[in-house]
Amino acid sequence: MVVTATSIEKPASAEQLAKTLHDAATQKLAVIPVGGGRARGMGDPASRADVELHTTRLDRVIEHSQADMVVSVEAGITLEALQAELAKAGQFLPLDPFNSPGHTIGGLLASGWTGPLRMRFGSPRDFLIGIRVALPDGRLATGGGRVVKNVSGYDMMKLHYGALGALGVIVAASFKVFPRPMHDVTVTSDGGWEDTSRALATPVAPSALELFSDGRVLARYTGSPDAIKRVVGELGWKTADGAVWEEHSRHAHPTWARIGAPREKLRVLLDGLSDWWASPGAGVAHWAAPADASAVRAVRQKAEASGGSLVMLDAPDDFMRDVGAWGTPPETIAIMRNLKRAFDPDAVLNPGRFVV
Amino acid sequence: MLPEAVVAELRRIVGRESVIDSANDLRIFERDGSIEGAVPDAVVLASTTEQVARVMKVAAKHKIPVVPRGAGTGLSGGAVTIRGGIALQVTRMRRILEIDPVAQTALVEPGVVNQELSLVAAQHGLFYAPDPSSQKACTIGGNAAENSGGPHCLYYGVTTNHVLGMEVVLADGSVHWVGGDVPDRVGLDLCGVLVGSEGTLCAITKIKVRLLSIPPSVATLLAAFPNIETASQAVSAVIGHGIVPAALEMMDSVTVGAVEAHYHAGYPTDAGAVLLVEVDGIAESTRELMAAIGKILAENHGYGLREAQTPAERDLLWQGRKGAIGALGRIKPNYYLHDGVVPRSRLPQVLSAVGEIGEHYKLPVANVFHAGDGNLHPNILFDMRDHEVLHQVESAGEEMLRAVVELGGALSGEHGIGLEKSAFMPWIYSEDDLDAMHRVKDVFDPAGMLNPGKIFPDPSRKAVHLAGRTGLAVEAKWW
Repeated sequence: MVVTATSIEKPASAEQLAKTLHDAATQKLAVIPVGGGRARGMGDPASRADVELHTTRLDRVIEHSQADMVVSVEAGITLEALQAELAKAGQFLPLDPFNSPGHTIGGLLASGWTGPLRMRFGSPRDFLIGIRVALPDGRLATGGGRVVKNVSGYDMMKLHYGALGALGVIVAASFKVFPRPMHDVTVTSDGGWEDTSRALATPVAPSALELFSDGRVLARYTGSPDAIKRVVGELGWKTADGAVWEEHSRHAHPTWARIGAPREKLRVLLDGLSDWWASPGAGVAHWAAPADASAVRAVRQKAEASGGSLVMLDAPDDFMRDVGAWGTPPETIAIMRNLKRAFDPDAVLNPGRFVV
Repeated sequence: MLPEAVVAELRRIVGRESVIDSANDLRIFERDGSIEGAVPDAVVLASTTEQVARVMKVAAKHKIPVVPRGAGTGLSGGAVTIRGGIALQVTRMRRILEIDPVAQTALVEPGVVNQELSLVAAQHGLFYAPDPSSQKACTIGGNAAENSGGPHCLYYGVTTNHVLGMEVVLADGSVHWVGGDVPDRVGLDLCGVLVGSEGTLCAITKIKVRLLSIPPSVATLLAAFPNIETASQAVSAVIGHGIVPAALEMMDSVTVGAVEAHYHAGYPTDAGAVLLVEVDGIAESTRELMAAIGKILAENHGYGLREAQTPAERDLLWQGRKGAIGALGRIKPNYYLHDGVVPRSRLPQVLSAVGEIGEHYKLPVANVFHAGDGNLHPNILFDMRDHEVLHQVESAGEEMLRAVVELGGALSGEHGIGLEKSAFMPWIYSEDDLDAMHRVKDVFDPAGMLNPGKIFPDPSRKAVHLAGRTGLAVEAKWW
């Protein structure tokens, strides 16, 4: 049976949010943190849900230091609002998640969702330089700072990135941002896996390279105009409108999965499947899965055997319960559970939803 | 001194010769690259993961502190056994276990020397990006424990961006794999938390790292500036134009004088500061970027621009930079440096504060640092045989670090907090922040036996003695 949230809280400040979280935790009420709601379906269905804790009123840019190429924001700001602010200075955050628009920064950090640009820039794991998190005991804990290089204390950013709010609610974050590329060219072909291999072998690697199950390939080259001219000339593919990336980032499906695998094994894993798109340079694919639990299990088994994973990003509750969102727990699950207990001893945050 | 029975137990694990416990021999392991030292009770030279795990179990049973140790080149006292116990030396674990040229990864033991990995990977056209200036000696295990940086981290990122997974031994002697080379792994990012934990959460016994393709073209440029302020402004201008070079390093006139006398690398000794700029990629992009950078530097008071024409010339320029701290020995036998980081635009302010503090204490200061990252290295030069001066040196270093913090910076960019900066942690973190970090410590090492006395402030040991000379207003909290 699904327990629906009985209370919806939208605090206006980090302090208020921490207090609300603490109040709920004191009463052992289950708290579901919500940002833009774009990844609401991720994870197993929560075993309890008493309070929806929205971050959407925490939507300020705290500081954008253009010269330092560093930005600090509250967690409820949408990615689009942040990009608009950065664009004024010719800068951007290299993050282009699927199921856009409407993701909040906090939601993206908690869910760990990424997009095609990951191939060149990595994930936020690589450019998140500071974080502030509300904990169930009402404390606000900061890690990192607003400098681009920092080994002062433990890397608390890594602890919360991709943890789906299991250890705390992210209320603010700082990023290293990047200059808009001097030149940005997208080319396309219908050459399938063979053409992705060609693009991966060019002397300048593409910043994004996407392959679709129908064999279509999109490659995006950014940087020095002369270098791009040479590489694109060597490939000889058709030029595509850059707007194709925004269209691509809208991709999502009511039942869909993310597959992570060693790059060289991705092709075998996707063989025979339809309705997928992949970043072969990163080893990630997204699959609009059929409503057939055994088919999903079979792909997951193959993915896990290759050292990878299949995570359900959304599915009807019954299907999600049947298949499970996460697959086989990692070998270090006991350590992860200890960390969960250290930060959320009463298991009030997203109970039952994440692996811990 | 450890009880004889414990020493015997350790000898049964690693062999008789591999436990050092004579007072004379132990003194060799008293220090790392920083000032403060403490003699361990025993040094254990482990050769395998199994030995590390068994040593850890013995230590846990007898409640003996363990400090994992690589080459001992660290600059923050991270490898110093301040509470005694066992220095667990892993430099015998120095095999490169695997290089996968297709996946572009390497699996190495912790004692592999940083530069050696890049030399071996070069046979496959690959290299390991993080390049601390001590790369001829420092180990990959130590780099992972400290989350080390280096000149080329400006573009390529620091150690944590290149470590994919690790085999670690926890305080209870259990062995685990964390992370791996597949993206989007399920669960918490334990590998990310353990990199940079300075030996306080685990001992590292294997590391899987990402290798990158050696860029086909590299261009290196040296430029002189009238003073450190103009050079700092030029750094901001380059980055402000949207150019992120592979490396962007600065040296002041004191450093240039010492380097030139030592290496004859052609550094302009009349300059107030020099910048060393490197870009890499394919020839088309390096040419284009270097032309743009040259123009920006010239517009910002840069002169005497000289691009290395041959690989030998380039190597010599880098030898001067990476050997700079050694060359400073021509001025004074000892140096002490912090590696605070400021937002790049604050470089002129912080460097002028550093200069004033040096003058006040009448100590020569040589700046050689990662300007593109805002990562300072003010080397305070002194003679350790003069016992009076040591306290002055520490006070000057502390004031410089305080200036960094007051300008919105961080205590360390790549050297770690270790022993020397633990007392300053409350300058940048609240009690709640430190409490959250301590919860992580307690999960991995509940008895506090791994590298005790590091990272977290220990008020009983070291009082912060600040003269308050910087006179800079403390910045408003930024959240």
